[in-house]
Amino acid sequence: MATKIKRAILYIALIILGLMCLLPFWLMMVNSTRSGVEITHSFSFLPGHSLKDNWKVLFDYVNLFLGLLNSFKVAVPATLLTAYFSAITAFGMAMYNWKGNNVLFRVIVVFMMIPAQLSLIGFYNLCQKLHLIDSYITLIIPAIASPGIVFFLRQYTKATLSKSLMEAARIDGASEIHIFHRIVLPIMAPGIATMSIGTFIGNWNSYLVPLILLNTPKKMTLPVMISTLNAATDLQKNQGAIYLGVAISVIPIIIAFCFFSKYIISSISAGSVKE
Amino acid sequence: MKFRKIMATLLAGVMTLSLAACGQSATGTESASTDSATSEEAPAAEAAENTNTETAGTDGEKLVIWTLAKDLQTFAEKYVEDHNVQIETVVIEPADYVTKVQTALNGGQTTPDIIVGEPQMLEDFYDAGYFEDLNQAPYNAQDYKGQIVDYVWEVGQDKDGIQRAISYQITPAGIYYRRDIAKDVFGTDDPDEIGKLFKDYPTILDTAEKLKSAGYRIFASDAEIGYFSGDTAWVVNDTLNVDQARLDYMDLVTDLYQNDLTAYANQWSTPWYQAMAGEVPILTAAVQSYADDSINVWDAEGFAEATKDLDKTQVFAFGLPSWGVLTLRDNVGETSGSWGVCSGPSYGFGGGTFIGISAMSEHKDLAWDFLKWVTLDESTAEWWIEKSEGDTVSLVSVLEKHKDDANEVYGGEHLYSFWQEQAAGIDYSKVTRFDKIINDAWGAACTAVKTGEMDKEAAISEFYDVVESTYPEITINR
Amino acid sequence: MKKRASMRKKNRENAAYLFVLPFVIVFLIFSVYPVLRTLFLSFTEYKGYGEPVFNGLANYTRVLKDKFFWRALRNTVKMWSLNIVLQLGMAFLLTIIFSDIKYKLRGLAIFRAVYYLPNLIAATSVAFLFKTLLDWKYGTFNQILLATGIVDQQINWLGQRSTAWAVIGVIQAWMWFGNSFIILMAGVQGIPTDYFEAAAIDGAGRWKVFGSITLPLLRPILLYVAVTSLIGGLQLFDLPFLMNGTGGPSTAGEPGGTLQTVVMYLFKFGFETHQVGFASAIAYTLFFIILFVSIMEFKFIGGKED
Repeated sequence: MATKIKRAILYIALIILGLMCLLPFWLMMVNSTRSGVEITHSFSFLPGHSLKDNWKVLFDYVNLFLGLLNSFKVAVPATLLTAYFSAITAFGMAMYNWKGNNVLFRVIVVFMMIPAQLSLIGFYNLCQKLHLIDSYITLIIPAIASPGIVFFLRQYTKATLSKSLMEAARIDGASEIHIFHRIVLPIMAPGIATMSIGTFIGNWNSYLVPLILLNTPKKMTLPVMISTLNAATDLQKNQGAIYLGVAISVIPIIIAFCFFSKYIISSISAGSVKE
Repeated sequence: MKFRKIMATLLAGVMTLSLAACGQSATGTESASTDSATSEEAPAAEAAENTNTETAGTDGEKLVIWTLAKDLQTFAEKYVEDHNVQIETVVIEPADYVTKVQTALNGGQTTPDIIVGEPQMLEDFYDAGYFEDLNQAPYNAQDYKGQIVDYVWEVGQDKDGIQRAISYQITPAGIYYRRDIAKDVFGTDDPDEIGKLFKDYPTILDTAEKLKSAGYRIFASDAEIGYFSGDTAWVVNDTLNVDQARLDYMDLVTDLYQNDLTAYANQWSTPWYQAMAGEVPILTAAVQSYADDSINVWDAEGFAEATKDLDKTQVFAFGLPSWGVLTLRDNVGETSGSWGVCSGPSYGFGGGTFIGISAMSEHKDLAWDFLKWVTLDESTAEWWIEKSEGDTVSLVSVLEKHKDDANEVYGGEHLYSFWQEQAAGIDYSKVTRFDKIINDAWGAACTAVKTGEMDKEAAISEFYDVVESTYPEITINR
Repeated sequence: MKKRASMRKKNRENAAYLFVLPFVIVFLIFSVYPVLRTLFLSFTEYKGYGEPVFNGLANYTRVLKDKFFWRALRNTVKMWSLNIVLQLGMAFLLTIIFSDIKYKLRGLAIFRAVYYLPNLIAATSVAFLFKTLLDWKYGTFNQILLATGIVDQQINWLGQRSTAWAVIGVIQAWMWFGNSFIILMAGVQGIPTDYFEAAAIDGAGRWKVFGSITLPLLRPILLYVAVTSLIGGLQLFDLPFLMNGTGGPSTAGEPGGTLQTVVMYLFKFGFETHQVGFASAIAYTLFFIILFVSIMEFKFIGGKED
């Protein structure tokens, strides 16, 4: 009985916490349907009637869907590259003894601590030399080398993968790369999946680097576009349009996440960690 | 064994290469650096979807413009009508603009052909050599001196007096005020008389108090007098210069804020725009604290109905440069016609798009033709006045011609002659490359004092510290 | 027989090299080179154009003497500390609650998704959203607080020194606790259930199980979360840059410079005042500080691990 009550209290606390996570988004959606005048005068938890007007004001200024598309063009390939190459690197480091392994590990740890901004100036300089300014290549290819993800997956591999499992596969005559693809990857999947959400979000939300690397407005990713709204004095006069702009940047991700998160959760529970 | 050797050699090779690349100097201005950027053209349909980039014209030589506002797009569309060229205009937000231009030109990009700058950006652009020298042949810009309003002409010169950029507009600042409120409170709406109410900071404070006791607020926020702060440059002979007017400004801002004399609506915010059209709510504690349940705050319409009799105020004046004429016109709604413009406590100006030719451009002749057409051509200026519905151009002859134009939004005031007078008083030497940071720091000091978070002495001392740490080359006499 | 075994071993080693090669190449080009380039610039005076001029350690001595650098560091640490306490505290609590074998709470998938939601949103959007919601006189948040009688006058959340930094810290925690929770939870689920079953058979209590099974096995993951959070936290930039009390994006860190983080300070010199050399030195000084603190973290949490 006591357990039941405690459980109920826990549920209520969890739900309140959930509401705290959702409330700002709800207000955002409500306000995106209200006019600037309504918003500054009072608040409401129920939608208004100005969605159409706000939409017009916003899209007269900028086409956010283009930013959305651009962000996908960058974030999806970058995430796939990070996931695959980090996993294979982590595997190579965790399960094999080779000269330089420790050196590489130490270098990786050091680079994890390096602020991204530390390399910004040099990175820009390099892109100029390679004539890659204003190109998505510089936003995607560097994703192959993600020290932080490798670090995590290396720890993860060590914790979940046993050498005996690999020995067994070798006795069956499997090649090393085959072992990685057929046996190791599925085992590492929960870790990779978890990290991939982070990577995707990181790429999706990345602001500073695309801001500096992309010159052409039509190539701009969503965060950069959104930040330009800040300076758009035409838009500021209608807070409703601002909220709508933010909402458009947020809602597709929320919808996508509803599906994506299910996949993550099933992949975590299906992970062959136990074996 | 062999494999490992190859691998080790490979790794070593890559490492050496990358190290060698480090040693190389940053500025190897590789002339071969044609931009991979612009060669990757997106399909036309996609380009049309984003209003930030527009290409006018279909064939002929191609000119690329990087600019800060959409004005030049409109100019470009007009220009291609009778020139067989293409013009791509890219509008970049001011916050990112300098970085973008720097990286493009430092990287030896041959586009953009035309770059622009606001006054505080120009000095650095001149020093970096981004702008073509317009005094040399074939441009001979010095021949046009006198056709453009003086201060604008001077802003376009580098420290050696070489013309590098020209602007098509002037941007002197003025006080925009409500004639109906002026009549109500002060018994007159004459710009000269109202100008006297803003003639110096103590008078402004007086005016503000009178307005408040009549139920109005003088400004939307204390930022409105920012354009009129300070009579002298921040840095004179490499020494920080805080004149008395700066300190008076700080006092005024503090008084306005602490005595509730403004409506606390930030510039460019939604309520700021609303204040142009009339009433804004004053949300005070008493109004919003509902002890009883008589007002259902969960119902938007009911809430608006219930609170409609609560405190509202109207804002008397806005301080903006001459382009504010257009901002107000678009937002005043029913108060149109009851506005006026008068002079502020000093001559100020704000913004302005100065156009120059990139030193890297491969289309300099065409760029010059466009530049000349935009800034020095009377028929263009006439067209622009009409197209922009009242922007203030920089060509003296055209300003003279329009000096008796009556602007109906502003109660028939002759705005062109007014702006010309204001422009004549502007002392451009007040602008320095240090202004942005120093203004920010001074603004921070003012905020700290007005909100009571620091006393005046401490705030000013911290201001000195900020300037000192940001620009070690500036001497500071405390 | 022995010979063949060593041949196989060598093959495996070669495979390992092949596995890490793509990483190493890209890493050298896009990570190592830029960082070294910045290091080089930190010893020069460089305006962003023209030639960098070598000036020895001048930039570094300037950084160390610059009280605003240290203020920026203090600001950053202050915002991060509040953030990390809330973030890890929440994540841990949630992990304990959800991994509890007695309560067997359901709906993990939904809760986790909801808690993670704020982390999905670009910092630029979050900044925009909260800046508008938290507006002093006209923001929805204050309207709600007033209407419900929680406060009796509007709070100038982002305009006063006492609250602005805390707002940033709380929003950061709001954005990241779900992320930490997912990572910790994934770690717990990676622990073979036999351990828990065995412990249950032994009659071990909830806290005993947590202390002797969950916590030790989570240690590598905890280390990861702590290290990345520190590195991310000390690089704080987007939110305070965009949510400045002054209006548009600014590196001034208004109100009163309390929101000025180290990276904003770096950005100010690197991109606004064109003192690229000095900015590089700031970057390196920050790096050394992060390095020092991370080593401490490794020592305390990492234990024997590597």
